[in-house]
Amino acid sequence: MVSKQLTITNAQGFHMRPASVFATAMGKYSCDVTIKFNGSDYNAKSLLNIIAACIKCGSEVEVVCNGADENEALAEAAQLIESGLGE
Amino acid sequence: MLNGTAASDGVGIGKVLIIKELSLDYTPKEISDTDAESERFKKAVDLFCKNTMEQAENLRKSTGDKEAEILEGHIQIIKDPYLCGEIEKLIDEGQCAEAALEHMCDMFIAMFSAADDELTKQRAADVRDIKSGILSILLGVQEVKISEAPKETVIVAKELTPSMTAGINKENIVGIITETGGKTSHSAILARALEIPAVLSVDGVVSKLYDGQEVIVDGTEGVVIDSPDKNQIEEYTQKRNEYLVEKRELENYRGRKTVSASGEEYELFCNIGKPDDAVKAVECDGEGVGLFRTEFLFMDRSQIPTEDEQFEAYKKAALILKGKSLIIRTLDIGGDKDLPYLGLAKEENPFMGFRAIRYCLKNRDLFKTQLRAILRASAYGDVKIMFPLITTLDELRTGKELVEEVKSELRENNVGFNEDIQVGVMMETSSAAVIADLLAKEADFFSIGTNDLTGYTMACDRGNSDVSYLYSALQPSVLRLIKYIIECGVKNGISVGMCGEAAANSMMIPLLISFGLTEFSVSAPSVLKVRKTISTWTKSEADKVAQKVMSMSSEKEIEDYLKTVI
Repeated sequence: MVSKQLTITNAQGFHMRPASVFATAMGKYSCDVTIKFNGSDYNAKSLLNIIAACIKCGSEVEVVCNGADENEALAEAAQLIESGLGE
Repeated sequence: MLNGTAASDGVGIGKVLIIKELSLDYTPKEISDTDAESERFKKAVDLFCKNTMEQAENLRKSTGDKEAEILEGHIQIIKDPYLCGEIEKLIDEGQCAEAALEHMCDMFIAMFSAADDELTKQRAADVRDIKSGILSILLGVQEVKISEAPKETVIVAKELTPSMTAGINKENIVGIITETGGKTSHSAILARALEIPAVLSVDGVVSKLYDGQEVIVDGTEGVVIDSPDKNQIEEYTQKRNEYLVEKRELENYRGRKTVSASGEEYELFCNIGKPDDAVKAVECDGEGVGLFRTEFLFMDRSQIPTEDEQFEAYKKAALILKGKSLIIRTLDIGGDKDLPYLGLAKEENPFMGFRAIRYCLKNRDLFKTQLRAILRASAYGDVKIMFPLITTLDELRTGKELVEEVKSELRENNVGFNEDIQVGVMMETSSAAVIADLLAKEADFFSIGTNDLTGYTMACDRGNSDVSYLYSALQPSVLRLIKYIIECGVKNGISVGMCGEAAANSMMIPLLISFGLTEFSVSAPSVLKVRKTISTWTKSEADKVAQKVMSMSSEKEIEDYLKTVI
């Protein structure tokens, strides 16, 4: 299992479009991907779960990957979040 | 008469078409052949996606990409692996497709509705729309065909869903009334994109009106008149025609330069608060941005935004403006704008206290971070820096020194920026106005902020109803300061703009033309109107009016006179 603390920098936070970009990217991996935020776990392959987390700009989240391709998944997750999720 | 939220301008007069919510009742049943049920669900989802794709294409043609994306989002939601996976699981356990779908959708609807931010709440409407779309496929229920509504139809619905909107024919639908939704809801955005008058959040309207009833929708005032009498129809027909004539007339000013009747050219910019607003500025034909308030970047968060975050936001606005002017105002906090994480002390007189440039000059790391982000963005467009709340020449000098410091740091690190970036002053205190001659020698431009300038000069809080009568930019004292600021700028060969509300005031415009203002910065929807007003004045006519106004001794006298000349 690998994990990383990341800060969300999108002005609108983790909303429809960024959540969709992120969930689609994570869907490619076989490992489980979880976003830990505000004491709860959210399935990062699910756009709806990410939106339900209500993650605003400036929030700190922890991305946890667990499975065969966990390192690749975490690297892409970090890259996506740091680059502003395509916004 | 019914009241609601004015969500899309204009007046519509027509006959009611109630969009009833479909009866999507069903009796849940135990499923034994779960594979077949699962197949039935998948087929319904495929059909839903296909229909939605078609609707999105229609919407793209009638209103544009942004609206179509809302519908495309529906496809992404229903294809969410978690949602599908859970529905499949419930079907495997023997639930019918309808019940499984409803269970999962309701869970997310409840979750999103309970969120404390507007954007997440809006997602609940999306999920509801998806649920009824797929349920109606599963149950074989026909949806009401809005696309077949006759001419002069006013749509009345509980909620305007994006899929409904996709069926709207602009020729036939003259108004929209809904029970839910605010100014920023999908319904409102879509109605505005379609240019159909809309009144939203009208309590219980679906049960108050009936099919075929005559109704007036005033989307400008947020009023619905049911079964209007002859006089009302006449009155509103006139109102509608006036609105349409004015709109058409204003459209003639799109794409034109901003020129007075005697040929002087002006810059007509917009005030914005977010990088995305620059899109609106361009859409509304603004020639640049005269005031980009940067506070949004610092608000609703728990810490100061990083240099990169700020850089991305400024760069985004610069790129959208494609080389058009972008005046970025440095952080203007304090006063009525508090940021809890900065730990500002409570003050007796916040407006006289530790705010804006005063705060920035004391917190140089924060200030230099912002300056660095702005300078880096200056490599991507015509970016300018503006300091708020300047009261002394020293403040301007210190600010400029810091800009130079940041420049040399960037040079050392080989980071690109515009070496000739202009640094200007927001003229919004009486002190700055009185020493405008001194400031004009060292600033690259002025921009007059009439809101604070009026408040400080009249020593009056416009929010206090006992003294708000004093608050007017047409007060002789305020006008004298404005005139002096502009004259000092003109004498020193720098441009002088105005980014306060007064710049769009048709009574103020002839005075500003006469004083020699070179740039007007207004809210995006006012651009065409201000361009039109400017085009009606010649310099010599404006001079005559200004001369007369400056000889008057009271605000009332000035206002009464100006009303007779505009």
